[in-house]
Amino acid sequence: MIAQQIINAVSLGGVYALLALGLAIVFSIVGLINFAHGELMTLSGYALLASLVLGFPFPVAVLVAVTCGALAAVAMERIAFRPMRGASVTSLLLTSFAVSSLLKVIFQNGISARPQAVAMPSWMTGAFSFGDFTIGVGPSISILVSALALIALELFLRRSVTGTAMRAAAEDFDVVRLMGIPASRIIATAFLLSGLLAGLAAMLWVAQRASVDPLMGFTPVLKAFIAAVVGGLGSLPGAVAGGFLLGIIEVLLQATLPGAIAPYRDAIVLSGVIAVLLLRPQGLIPAVRVQRS
Amino acid sequence: MPNLYRLHRAALCAAVFGIAAVSTASAEEIIIGAATAQTGVLAPYDQPALAGLRMALDELNAKGGLGGKYTVKLMIKDTRSDTAQTATVAQELIDAGAKIMITPCDADPSISAGQLTQPLGIPTLTLCGSAPVLTGAVGDVMFGTYPADNVQATAVADFAVSEGKKKVFLLTSPDTTYTANLPEYFGKVFEKKGGAIVGRGTFTMGQPDFSAEITNIKGLADKPDLIMTAAYEPDFPAFIQQLRGAGVTIPVYGADAIGTPTIKALGKLVDGVVYTAAGYAEPGSKLEAFNAAFAKYAGHAPESTYEVNGYEIGLILDQAVKTAGSDDPKAIRDAIANLKDFEGITGKITYAGTNRMPLRPVALMRYEGGEQKHVETLIPAAADVPAP
Repeated sequence: MIAQQIINAVSLGGVYALLALGLAIVFSIVGLINFAHGELMTLSGYALLASLVLGFPFPVAVLVAVTCGALAAVAMERIAFRPMRGASVTSLLLTSFAVSSLLKVIFQNGISARPQAVAMPSWMTGAFSFGDFTIGVGPSISILVSALALIALELFLRRSVTGTAMRAAAEDFDVVRLMGIPASRIIATAFLLSGLLAGLAAMLWVAQRASVDPLMGFTPVLKAFIAAVVGGLGSLPGAVAGGFLLGIIEVLLQATLPGAIAPYRDAIVLSGVIAVLLLRPQGLIPAVRVQRS
Repeated sequence: MPNLYRLHRAALCAAVFGIAAVSTASAEEIIIGAATAQTGVLAPYDQPALAGLRMALDELNAKGGLGGKYTVKLMIKDTRSDTAQTATVAQELIDAGAKIMITPCDADPSISAGQLTQPLGIPTLTLCGSAPVLTGAVGDVMFGTYPADNVQATAVADFAVSEGKKKVFLLTSPDTTYTANLPEYFGKVFEKKGGAIVGRGTFTMGQPDFSAEITNIKGLADKPDLIMTAAYEPDFPAFIQQLRGAGVTIPVYGADAIGTPTIKALGKLVDGVVYTAAGYAEPGSKLEAFNAAFAKYAGHAPESTYEVNGYEIGLILDQAVKTAGSDDPKAIRDAIANLKDFEGITGKITYAGTNRMPLRPVALMRYEGGEQKHVETLIPAAADVPAP
């Protein structure tokens, strides 16, 4: 039973980590917490549904959906955030809320207020047994996808020129621009990556929920925000750590709390977040900030 | 004489407005305010119910209006599924002259609107809100229209007992009255009839992950024969997908909120799931005729029984105005409260002698091979229904 709960926790934590990382990449470069990140997930979810309805094979539909998420993120930056470049943190935050609300209403009135069922292939909803306990195929895929995505991102940031430029931009954007690297390209890449991560997370999320609905982006973006703050806002390793920590705490509390206290689970989790921030105000793994003299 | 001139003009204005006011009143028009959700989490339930009501009112208007006398003007305002916003728009509708109020499919916003209509004596009907505590929380103007949670739960429990089920696991969420109480009503009836509750679990609405709960269910020493929950979209699909994914085959029973196209579209995943509905369209029944008429009216078939429920609200109001013989809100309220054996589309509807939650038949349905199959229709014995 314990082994099973650990798998549950890691699988949920991985999804949170993907989401938190998406937020952190954009925040580290433009200083924007993109609350419309959840709507990118919703969009990917609908893209998956549309591709399946059009009769695409499942892997192709997933590819289309993730691509849609990534492109939508770039489009969002181009349309909503680029005109706001250089604006205060508050203005950026409000813009992202506006984008989020706008998309929600468009999904509700343009598609349907009702969730749409997404039929996952039957092998994905199955389970395999290991002696005493069974592992769902879904959670296993979720762990695998999160791990691969995190490794791929790490490689991209460490080994590619653009990746290096992005890491530099996260530390000191102005200097990077002085070095002749175009800001727009760096920012667009950051959004592209965040959209890609949102798309992947959406696939895992939808696989678990078997439906997409106009409001499905709200909870994940909230969890991702909490994870990113706990990890250290703007720090990429921090986002991953925060995501896993949040997932693990949530599952373990749900598994162990006695029935009478269980409804307070979220309150307890958030109290834990406050405790972490009291001890480490900059988060678990704070973002590196260069001190200029 | 500028002052006198101004006075004269003011008097003229007053006269014009006075005439205007009189002329609206003499048109025998009755305003029905609908503070309902067009957006947000309740929209999937409010929209179909409102579509049914709108169809009924259009038909009645073509025949001269409510009671054949009062042309209905339906004023609709969006609550955005928000309780505070519901109070705001309800106040706007009252200010606009609403004499009857229609509120969302959930207890909390309906209560917030009811707080405003109760002191004014405006009859208030929730579209498909089914919490039996709702009418008591507001007062004598508040009416439910859908079979109450405790009635639905009793019907499901009766059925489970008749199937020989002995042990149940209750999955609740404290987030709404519906998700918190309906399974507990089931538990009460089930225990009274010899069943046992072997475990309880909770979930947060909108959460993605049921794995911890499901692992707990799998780990129960005393294996349940069924899981009872009032979870609905998007939680229900998530729960059932992860439950079956974890290899658990225990049957899951629910209530009316899962009688939707979305749940049906889950196909094999929901095979064997039992739920309740306000009616079932037997071939040749009134409901079947209604469904055809609705499809013609709206351009698509009804998604659920919320459409017919909304339509029946229109019929109830028509009957109430006929009985009251006036558009006086208090007289209409009394007429609804005394309604007895009213022939609706789904069966007989009675308010007389109830706490304003209607007595009406409950249809039990089961998903089988991607279809909604009718199991039976029953009116649970009043003595079996647990108190709210």
